[in-house]
Amino acid sequence: MASTGETVTAESAPQTVRTRIEYRRFNVFHRWMHFLVFVSFTVLVFTGMPLKYKDTEWARWFMDLFGGVTAAGVYHRIAALVTVFYWTLEFTFMVVMVLRSRGKLLRSPGSLMPGKKDLEDMIGMFAWFFGKGPKPQFDRYTYWEKFDYMSLMAGTVIIGMTGFMMWFPLWFTKVLPGIFLNIALVIHSNEALLAMGVIFIFVHFFSAHARPESFPLDKVIFTGSVPVDHYKAERPLEFARRVREGTLDEVLVEKRLTWRIYAADVLWWTITAFAGFCAILMTAFIIWSVFD
Amino acid sequence: MTRRRAAALAALLTVAALLGLAAAAGAATAPVTAQSALGVTGNDACFHCHGQQDMQNRTIDVGGEQQDIFVDRALYDASRHGGLACTSCHIGFKPGLHGADETQAWLITAKLTACDNCHADVFAMYRGSFHGNLVFGESSGKAPVCADCHVAHNITPPGSAAFRASIDSLCARCHPDQLKTYLDSYHGKAFFLGDAKTAVCTDCHGGHKILPPSNPESMVSKHNLVATCAQCHPGANENFAGFMVHVDPQSPRSSFAVWTFYALYIMLIAVVFTFGFVHTALYIYRGIKDGLYRRNRHG
Ligand code: HEC
Ligand code: HEC
Ligand code: HEC
Ligand code: HEC
Ligand code: HEC
Ligand code: HEC
Ligand code: HEC
Ligand code: HEM
Repeated sequence: MASTGETVTAESAPQTVRTRIEYRRFNVFHRWMHFLVFVSFTVLVFTGMPLKYKDTEWARWFMDLFGGVTAAGVYHRIAALVTVFYWTLEFTFMVVMVLRSRGKLLRSPGSLMPGKKDLEDMIGMFAWFFGKGPKPQFDRYTYWEKFDYMSLMAGTVIIGMTGFMMWFPLWFTKVLPGIFLNIALVIHSNEALLAMGVIFIFVHFFSAHARPESFPLDKVIFTGSVPVDHYKAERPLEFARRVREGTLDEVLVEKRLTWRIYAADVLWWTITAFAGFCAILMTAFIIWSVFD
Repeated sequence: MTRRRAAALAALLTVAALLGLAAAAGAATAPVTAQSALGVTGNDACFHCHGQQDMQNRTIDVGGEQQDIFVDRALYDASRHGGLACTSCHIGFKPGLHGADETQAWLITAKLTACDNCHADVFAMYRGSFHGNLVFGESSGKAPVCADCHVAHNITPPGSAAFRASIDSLCARCHPDQLKTYLDSYHGKAFFLGDAKTAVCTDCHGGHKILPPSNPESMVSKHNLVATCAQCHPGANENFAGFMVHVDPQSPRSSFAVWTFYALYIMLIAVVFTFGFVHTALYIYRGIKDGLYRRNRHG
């Protein structure tokens, strides 16, 4: 069973519902954001890539599946609007948070800002890979998570701007020369491949599923919290910091282990299986077209 | 004995049937066009041989190319030229085995000028075009003639999706580089994947008055380009028309600016993917080596 005996603490609860103390890593806002990114990004990749690799057989399958190039273009644009929406929301949220903390948030060890420690961690990790040192200890975010986040936020600006140039070429050429449209296509097309590689293959998918610590599935972005022990082992610095600052209680939640939790697990597994399938499929397709 | 008689009877019946059919057809389609004055009835005689799918020696050698002398009647009758007599183009052809005078004349001039008789305006445009010059001018070369674009015996309305879909492959025979760059731009991608509304070669270059961009009369000259794009992009201006249809991002000679961005991205992708691959592989290696996959299982 999924429950770990030693963390079940409230055996005395009246209706004998088992509960478990968990560490809340992501709040509802984070989780909804991730959901929007997940859905829109998948749609964008699957409606965009067939255009990039138009010569391949699978490009035709997908265009047929979507009901033609024009229809795929419409889905691409709807997903693009979702992208603009979540990006704006996330950006505003970040700016407000940073302003409210008077910039302290940026300097906190738990922030997403890359810093000196990230470089040291990376060197440390390579040392560990070769058995030349202990595994570095991480705070709230590892360097690859920061890279993932930052590249998505920055990449979305680039891909969004070039995308809008292609969407409204007449409007943009009121001021810009026509060659910008040619450049926009080159950037959009290759940035898309880059983003797909980062998200679908190396950084994101790997860190959520294939890393030893998270294998076979890290559900935390869906459930929001993980058993305390586990979190303590994975992000010891953040845990220690919270203990030191006395803010641990803010993030501890008592999770009731009802059938709903297990039902939800099935859902997370299904979603992940679907996402994994999409990622493997698209990766295979692109490798196929490279060697075609 | 009986076989020969049966064959004769069959032939007689066939002729009778053909005559009957011809009369009916003639009555039904009589007032189609002025040109049908030549008489659809005459076509039956031609189809008597050319309509036989199982005739012997169906292919003939025309200037080194093998051509099929079978003409599909169903397609012909349904085409835009359905009411036309064969002889309105194949002038002077008589039913029966043809003499050398008939076929030679057709091959050399009539094939090119037959259309002129009824489509003089189009022909004049074509005659003045770059391709027309190649065909008729002194600097002769291989260029498309009327029947290369319009299938001679199956003339479809040029606006039809089927006709439009055939144009790109036609031009590609002689302009493969431009086809490649076109297919890599948005119009070409959409066309290739089945979008019928998008621009094909002749939407920008015209069908008959194809001229080099340097010629001010050309649809793609500086002078006319804005109007050409504006057919489908109302409100297009000079900047918009500056979008390069035939640019090859992979070649610095095509457009240095576009190539620069292409090259930068290819390098960036190579670096990021290589790093990602190495990092991932080493992480998994260490995980397996230290048995972390078994130890850290959690739920
Ligand atoms: C008796 C059968 C017969 C009839 C009837 C007939 N043809 Fe032919 N036709 C042939 C044969 C056999 C050839 C191929 C050999 C040749 O070129 O003579 C041919 C060739 C042709 C060619 C190609 C010429 C070339 O060599 O490129 C044309 C055009 C043509 N026929 C038109 C017509 C037209 C128009 C009619 C009706 C007025 C007609 N034919 C009636 C048998 C016939
Ligand atoms: C609109 C003019 C036009 C009409 C009408 C027309 N043809 Fe043709 N025909 C052509 C042209 C042009 C060619 C040369 C085709 C090519 O080179 O691809 C041709 C070629 C041919 C050939 C030679 C084989 C070939 O396909 O190249 C035959 C046989 C022929 N025609 C028979 C007929 C018969 C029979 C009819 C009447 C049913 C007919 N044609 C009506 C224009 C015409
Ligand atoms: C005897 C006269 C005649 C000759 C010769 C002739 N055509 Fe036509 N063509 C017509 C007629 C009549 C129509 C029907 C026009 C209409 O209905 O608008 C037509 C229609 C067409 C159309 C379709 C136009 C449309 O808007 O749908 C094309 C394309 C065409 N012809 C090409 C040719 C080509 C190519 C040749 C030479 C191989 C040729 N024609 C020779 C009489 C002729
Ligand atoms: C390079 C391909 C090409 C060649 C060669 C060509 N056409 Fe066309 N034709 C087209 C296209 C494309 C259209 C559609 C309208 C347009 O773009 O002008 C068309 C349209 C037509 C039409 C109907 C519309 C109109 O403009 O009246 C006629 C008739 C016609 N062509 C006749 C001819 C004749 C006759 C010749 C030979 C002199 C010829 N075509 C050669 C591509 C071609
Ligand atoms: C049978 C071969 C052939 C076909 C098919 C053909 N062309 Fe051409 N075309 C030529 C030749 C040969 C030239 C002259 C090339 C040169 O001088 O560089 C030419 C020249 C041109 C030019 C001017 C080129 C320049 O260098 O400025 C344009 C534009 C053009 N073709 C467009 C087209 C389009 C559009 C089509 C299809 C509708 C087409 N061609 C189909 C043979 C062909
Ligand atoms: C969206 C409009 C558009 C379409 C579609 C298009 N072209 Fe062009 N083409 C142009 C313009 C504009 C130029 C002149 C500027 C240049 O060379 O890039 C041109 C130039 C050319 C030239 C002359 C090149 C030279 O260097 O002189 C050829 C040949 C040509 N095109 C062939 C084709 C062929 C073949 C197709 C279809 C496969 C095609 N074009 C489709 C707009 C178009
Ligand atoms: C036959 C109609 C037609 C003509 C002519 C035409 N286009 Fe287009 N073009 C389209 C269509 C359809 C689209 C797709 C619109 C969409 O779905 O967004 C498009 C899209 C575009 C786009 C946006 C896509 C992108 O990837 O950037 C540009 C830029 C463009 N055309 C430039 C031109 C230029 C420049 C010309 C003139 C040389 C031209 N077009 C001529 C039909 C045409
Ligand atoms: C965020 C806003 C975005 C906008 C406004 C946008 C818009 C566009 C437009 C207008 C096109 C032209 C083709 C068409 O009309 O369908 C296009 C193509 C494409 N898009 Fe996007 N897009 C966006 C984001 C993305 C993302 C996130 C990806 C994938 C990671 C992506 C992948 C692609 C690809 C691969 C193509 C085809 C490029 C080619 O032809 O080589 N797009 N996009």
